Amino acid sequence: MPARRLLGLLFVAPALALVSALFLYPLALSIASALARPDGGIGLENFAKALELYSGDMVYTIFIVAASTVLIGLVAIAIAGYLTIGETPWLLTGLAWLYRWPLFVPFIVAAQCMRTFLAKNGLANNTLVASGLIDAADTVSLLDWRGVIITFVWKQAPFVTLLLAGAMAAIDRATIEAARNLGARRLRCLIEIVLPQVAPTLMVGLILSFVTMLSVLSVPMMVAGSQPTMLTVDMAFRINAYGDYPVANALGVISYLMTAVVAWIYLRQAMRERDT
Amino acid sequence: MRMYPIVLAAALGLCAAPASAQTLNVASAGDQNMVDYVRDYLGPLFEKTHPGVKVVAVGTGPGDAGSQKIYEKLAAEKAAGVPTWDFDVVVIHQKMAGQMVGEQLLAKYRDRIDTGRLVTRDTAANALGADVAGYVMPMFHSQTALAYNPDLIKDVPESYSALIDWVKRNPKKFGYNGIKGGMSGVAFVAGWVYAFGGGADQMMKGPYDTTTKAAWDKPLADLKDFNKSVVITPGNAGTLDMLNRGEIAIGPVWVDMFYTWMAEGKLPPNMRLKLIAPGMPGQPMYYATPAKAANGKLAEEFIAMATSPEVQAEGIVKRFNWYPGIDAKYLEGKLDQAAWQKLFADISPDELASKGEPFPIAPYFNDILEAYERKVAN
Amino acid sequence: MTRALPGMALRALLLAALAFAIIGPLANLALWSFAERWYFPFKLPVSWGLRYWEVVFRPTGVAMASLATSISIALLTVVVALAVSIPAGYALARLRLPLRALIMIIFLLPQAFPGVAVYINVARIFYGLGLTGTIAGVVIVHAAHALVYSVWITSAAFAAIDRDLEFAARNIGASALRVFFTVTLPLAAPGIIASAIFVFLESLDEFTGTFFVGVPNVSTLPLLLYSASMGGNYQIASITALILLVPSILFMLFVERFLKADVLSKVGR
Repeated sequence: MPARRLLGLLFVAPALALVSALFLYPLALSIASALARPDGGIGLENFAKALELYSGDMVYTIFIVAASTVLIGLVAIAIAGYLTIGETPWLLTGLAWLYRWPLFVPFIVAAQCMRTFLAKNGLANNTLVASGLIDAADTVSLLDWRGVIITFVWKQAPFVTLLLAGAMAAIDRATIEAARNLGARRLRCLIEIVLPQVAPTLMVGLILSFVTMLSVLSVPMMVAGSQPTMLTVDMAFRINAYGDYPVANALGVISYLMTAVVAWIYLRQAMRERDT
Repeated sequence: MRMYPIVLAAALGLCAAPASAQTLNVASAGDQNMVDYVRDYLGPLFEKTHPGVKVVAVGTGPGDAGSQKIYEKLAAEKAAGVPTWDFDVVVIHQKMAGQMVGEQLLAKYRDRIDTGRLVTRDTAANALGADVAGYVMPMFHSQTALAYNPDLIKDVPESYSALIDWVKRNPKKFGYNGIKGGMSGVAFVAGWVYAFGGGADQMMKGPYDTTTKAAWDKPLADLKDFNKSVVITPGNAGTLDMLNRGEIAIGPVWVDMFYTWMAEGKLPPNMRLKLIAPGMPGQPMYYATPAKAANGKLAEEFIAMATSPEVQAEGIVKRFNWYPGIDAKYLEGKLDQAAWQKLFADISPDELASKGEPFPIAPYFNDILEAYERKVAN
Repeated sequence: MTRALPGMALRALLLAALAFAIIGPLANLALWSFAERWYFPFKLPVSWGLRYWEVVFRPTGVAMASLATSISIALLTVVVALAVSIPAGYALARLRLPLRALIMIIFLLPQAFPGVAVYINVARIFYGLGLTGTIAGVVIVHAAHALVYSVWITSAAFAAIDRDLEFAARNIGASALRVFFTVTLPLAAPGIIASAIFVFLESLDEFTGTFFVGVPNVSTLPLLLYSASMGGNYQIASITALILLVPSILFMLFVERFLKADVLSKVGR
């Protein structure tokens, strides 16, 4: 029915136009700008300059995002796992109520919270000192890469936990019961029975988190000092201080490549699973 | 509760707003205190003498990046051939002022206002090597210095060399913000290059020589080493905040921000300042009006008011703790001795004269920033 | 089965530690909102008060204007996003589209690429068009960013409708258009409202795009939060953050009502 298909395309056209104009076109522009030479033509000079100035920051960025992703995964598995297999009622309700709070806190608000919470004399340290767990002279400021990781995990883990808890709730409880009946401990149940069944959802959640964290500007700017810092801050600095679009875009392309690598790993895994 | 009348007033205020005939748009680069100055002090003052005019202040962000935003906006409007531009008054840093004058984005108004003759300092005509005479009026002069807590430090260093030794003995007690996020860190780095790079005079006055930066390799390597024992803070406010919380004991700050924070209870009252040898930079911020401002005449009246001796005394010196933009002698009689003395409590006028330096001229400025990124940060 | 007391105590301790880790930062925000003077070495504010609330809420203050700007931008974003997503969602759910999978992926792409570089170039394009520093520019950027949610959720909402109800209406003589407005749309309404709320919240909280496109004329609450925080004014930053949290928390408490399980299960199909 050609008329119907045409109608369908017509309906989708405005949305597609918006995405093309505001995402695909700037994306293409950024790649073109990164590859452009000042005298016309294509070259990798901008990438060379970006590496020269920011190679340390690139490593720093990958390290922070990768470490955060791993921690998010672990936290999400722990909380969602307990919510699925746990047996203490008050703990279950408490946990279910508690873990969702950071879910709707925007990154910039989370950054502001952590800026004063994690300081050397911030609330976290002061509470630990007041409860006698550490000595006042030993307090440590976490306002560096650790603070950034903590903020990312604090904000993103509830999201992945939510996805994972939903997926775990959807699996057949009979598989869990069977394993428990055979005498398996709950932890083993989690790792060997539940986790394999929800692995796809976990991967999706972690990849979304990975990409999201690579896009955040507010957290590295507000929580940590400026050296080293994440690539997003360098991109903003390049534009705001020098008006240097080519190198800023080169940094952007490098961040695309980082996500591309992760996406490739995921797709390979998905392909492999489909074949087995 | 007191909220109800406030909410009612807000609603009435919002309704009353459309009644003003004219809006004066003031765009200010710099920290929040700059925007607050226009919003809370200059704006209402101007509106009182000019009924029917509403002053709207927007902040474009701290450091040269904020001035860059203003420059980009004006340049874009010029390229697009728009008949009148969005900003009537702009408050900008020296580097961008030079560039804006070079690209004919600003009006030459200083001869048209009577306060124009009240400033004779070099900074009114020379912005980091660029000739800006007639296009700008200094709003204030600011100075960086090291702020320290005398309770935590007994042997405060008096020079950059002494600072290096001090930091070796007291690691992680000194903090600055690198070159991103605030000009206090940039000032510290510039002062370092002046102190150890040689040729400070040429960097401040020109002429520009591309080979000068070769002499910076050793000082920058030393700076990289120095950085290992210091804390890098998130910005001007970050340094002050860490000083406040006792997380660092000493760090470069803008003198005006230091006094303002202390007045607001954000810094312990016992903190002091030290201007170390051979010197640390300071800079003026400039009032300017774009060449095609919508309300050019009103803008000039605004700037004339802002640079009048009364406003400079009351607003700039007393309220916001800056050194005045116009020549200090015109403030005599407008300011009480106590307020004047407070500014010079830790840094005497002689020290200011001998150790207060301008920033390097624009091409050297960029060289220093890029060399830092290349050799120190990476 | 009775649990040994040490085991119970350990669980309680873990829960308490988790509660501190999760609620602590938020409590810190509240603490800063009511602090008037606070400096080292005091562990708690030196003096408390509502002084900064007055500063934030006064009529000439910038916070009220920013709040109004943020809300109007968010509402406009919802209008734009829904205007393009409802037809798109319907087409994706109901009409047979060529390259359907490709189109779904295109809508997913903005979430797959780190956004800062894209926003930088959008700002550059907007300079040429005169859209930087305008509300329209910011609304367009927010709408494009939120499209992935609105298209996918409205599509799922339409897919979850029982087609028999529509066939029944057609059988008794209603025209296709009438069926859409009187049967389909009302049934899809909860899902559409959910996507509207997502879009509203995304727009309200959006910082990065507005940072590049909106500055300096457009001042939204997140931008105000950022400049207050970087300027060291933590009280104002914390109060602004609390204001931003209110709609989010409200939504969190009520989301169950709008996102029913059958809609959620169709997301992504």
